Amino acid sequence: MAVDMKTIEHLCGLSKLTYDEKGMEKVMGEMSSIIDLMDEIKGFDLTYDDTNDKNEIRFCDTREDIPEKSFETEKLLSNAENTDGCYVVPKVVE
Amino acid sequence: MDLTRAKIRDLRKMLDSGEISATELCKEYLDKIEEKDKSLLSYITVTKDEAMKTAENAQKIINEGKASALTGIPLAIKDNICTDGVKTTCASNMLGNFIPPYNATVIEKLNAEGYVLLGKTSMDEFAMGGSTQTSAFAKTKNPYDLERVPGGSSGGSAAAVAASLAPAALGSDTGGSIRQPASFCGVTGIKPTYGRVSRYGLVAFASSLDQIGPIANDARDCAILLNAICGGDRHDATSAKIDTPDFTEKLGQPIKGMKIALPKEFYDGVDDTVRACVTDAAKELEKHGATLVECSMPGLKYAIPAYYLIACAEAASNLSRFDGIKYGYRGEGRTYNELIIDSRNKGFGEEVKRRILLGNYALSSGYYDAYYKKALALKQEIIKEYSDIFEQADVILTPTAPTPAYKIGAQDNDPVKMYLADICTVTVNIAGLPGISTTCGYTADAGLPIGMSVIGKRFDEQTILQVADAFEQGFVPVAPKF
Repeated sequence: MAVDMKTIEHLCGLSKLTYDEKGMEKVMGEMSSIIDLMDEIKGFDLTYDDTNDKNEIRFCDTREDIPEKSFETEKLLSNAENTDGCYVVPKVVE
Repeated sequence: MDLTRAKIRDLRKMLDSGEISATELCKEYLDKIEEKDKSLLSYITVTKDEAMKTAENAQKIINEGKASALTGIPLAIKDNICTDGVKTTCASNMLGNFIPPYNATVIEKLNAEGYVLLGKTSMDEFAMGGSTQTSAFAKTKNPYDLERVPGGSSGGSAAAVAASLAPAALGSDTGGSIRQPASFCGVTGIKPTYGRVSRYGLVAFASSLDQIGPIANDARDCAILLNAICGGDRHDATSAKIDTPDFTEKLGQPIKGMKIALPKEFYDGVDDTVRACVTDAAKELEKHGATLVECSMPGLKYAIPAYYLIACAEAASNLSRFDGIKYGYRGEGRTYNELIIDSRNKGFGEEVKRRILLGNYALSSGYYDAYYKKALALKQEIIKEYSDIFEQADVILTPTAPTPAYKIGAQDNDPVKMYLADICTVTVNIAGLPGISTTCGYTADAGLPIGMSVIGKRFDEQTILQVADAFEQGFVPVAPKF
């Protein structure tokens, strides 16, 4: 196995996901196959040179920082549950 | 009215001459969707009432003689492109009830032309897949054979166009998601150069690779649609602030003297039928006066891991916004952390979860240099290899997919097999190039479409449209019997 249970648990923590015991076994098998495929990249003998990055993505000029009318609060809240004029969340201090 | 493979430009003439009204045309498509889509499942949402209202408004514009290219033309839109007031689900339970409070820039541009939204098409969940079978709501089928996949992730858009449930559609392409379903469904789809079309309002999968583009019945209709959606946008810093040419300008011009490169690695691992079909298409282009140039792209060997590492790293970051608080599926939990985990556990499907895990693996401490930075090095190499090929050729010709459409279920439970099937398309996204897929033949036994891709230099969509169009003018497409 390219990855062990401890690594999968760590990744689940980073990803804010959980699996039951059976699900963990399944995902460990799948992730091992996937990482075996990703490991092929190690055969490529070049290092990344961030000073020579040819992404060639042209970025637009940044716009002026001027306040302007945005979305209406009511409209933005329409997709949230448990709203009372604001986003409602459970306690954040555990 | 026979809508079979109706072209945008023909519908334009009919609307402008008064042969049909915008409302009549809209109703024809809505009726056909109602009759046929129960078995095809290409749409997630059909916007019946809104469509008729916008068609009425479009007709007024036509009556005033002020119609643009798309006024009154019904179109389908992939369900990851935000439409104000119309559900945009990304085919995920996470966004099953999400109604965007704004329009994507491409939708604003189409609205300015007076288009008619028929509905939102199905896709792989969050555009992650190549079969449209990871959709939580509509597992679209291929109109050429309902037991086969339509490709993906824009499988709903491609199937709808192929089955004449829309004359054209918008899709999005992160690793082949416009071109591969276009190939499987026997239609034409173009992924524009990265930066050509604004991504504002496109639900992000991998931000350095995503691009919106048209799927239509031929290159000429793709060009018309591309004309409408291109251009720099203040809401998307990566959209290019450069002049947009008329993409129909070079259509019909001879390709005599043009050099077409055939990188051998693209032809090595594909089905014999696909190889033979694309090679025959290359010979056909040679008859038009083009010169074929043999070349090599050694970096293709590592393209799949490079693509998946970059795409999943970006996806893991982009999808971290789905926490069940501001929008999206809200789970249960006594604490903030429990709420987020429950929302994500229940909101995301299995493939999306796998890709988030892989992305976090590639970005996590101890693995970053070995995987993510290596993938970025590969990206530099692939850009260089493309650049070297374009020193000796105007365009590149490759198969679009290693196989024709496969049976539903053939790649279930085998993510590696699914990832490897993207080999012909992912390098175009990695290098940010434009690519168009058009049908070049059909399998002898089952009559399944086979697609070829024409890849161009950055911001040279005009030339790839010209080459695809030159081929299409001598090719007789076969519509599905669906």
